[in-house]
Amino acid sequence: MPSKGVSAFISCLLAWVVPGGGHLYLGKRSRAAVFFLVVVATFLLGILNQGRSYLIDRDQPLTYLAALTNIATGPMELASRQLTYHRLVYRLPADENSPESAQLLQAMRERVKIVTDEYGTTYLLTAGLMNILLMLDAFDIAIGRKA
Amino acid sequence: MFRSHFLNMVIFSALVSVFFAFLTQTDRRERLKVMAILCLCMIVLSLIVAYAMYPFPSNKH
Repeated sequence: MPSKGVSAFISCLLAWVVPGGGHLYLGKRSRAAVFFLVVVATFLLGILNQGRSYLIDRDQPLTYLAALTNIATGPMELASRQLTYHRLVYRLPADENSPESAQLLQAMRERVKIVTDEYGTTYLLTAGLMNILLMLDAFDIAIGRKA
Repeated sequence: MFRSHFLNMVIFSALVSVFFAFLTQTDRRERLKVMAILCLCMIVLSLIVAYAMYPFPSNKH
């Protein structure tokens, strides 16, 4: 039975904007607090380990999924993107020889050289994946599929 | 931040375990149980896989 007076769309949107926000909206305060702390801690560990956000590259289909996972973390993802590329950019330009493309690839290479980059990137992706599960969980609670 | 692979693995396992324990369980004792089992499994299985891969050649010459 669907939860009364709550919208599944708003719960999903809040879950995306703030990790645990959807659960807070649905009245699950303790779970919301734990989810917020875990997802934010995972994301911060990604930032501190100098992980990188993914850019969409048309030649590499898996980068679509990786970039989408980064975006699923919510607005705080903008911070990691800004730190990686020094601006908010989501895809590599189609022209591989353009100065913009060279600049972005250089920023990416600089990150890859850092010893902890792989750890950081994994933490960032995990934070995004956790938030996707939180959005789905908030949806299930809102429509009454889960208590 | 942390250069130790093992430390990163333990922290990662702990975070993921807490997350899934709270996502899948509602009872406090069940959450603790799931948390402990998940965390331990992730760490122990990773170490077993790491040792199983030990004899394989690496790219280093």
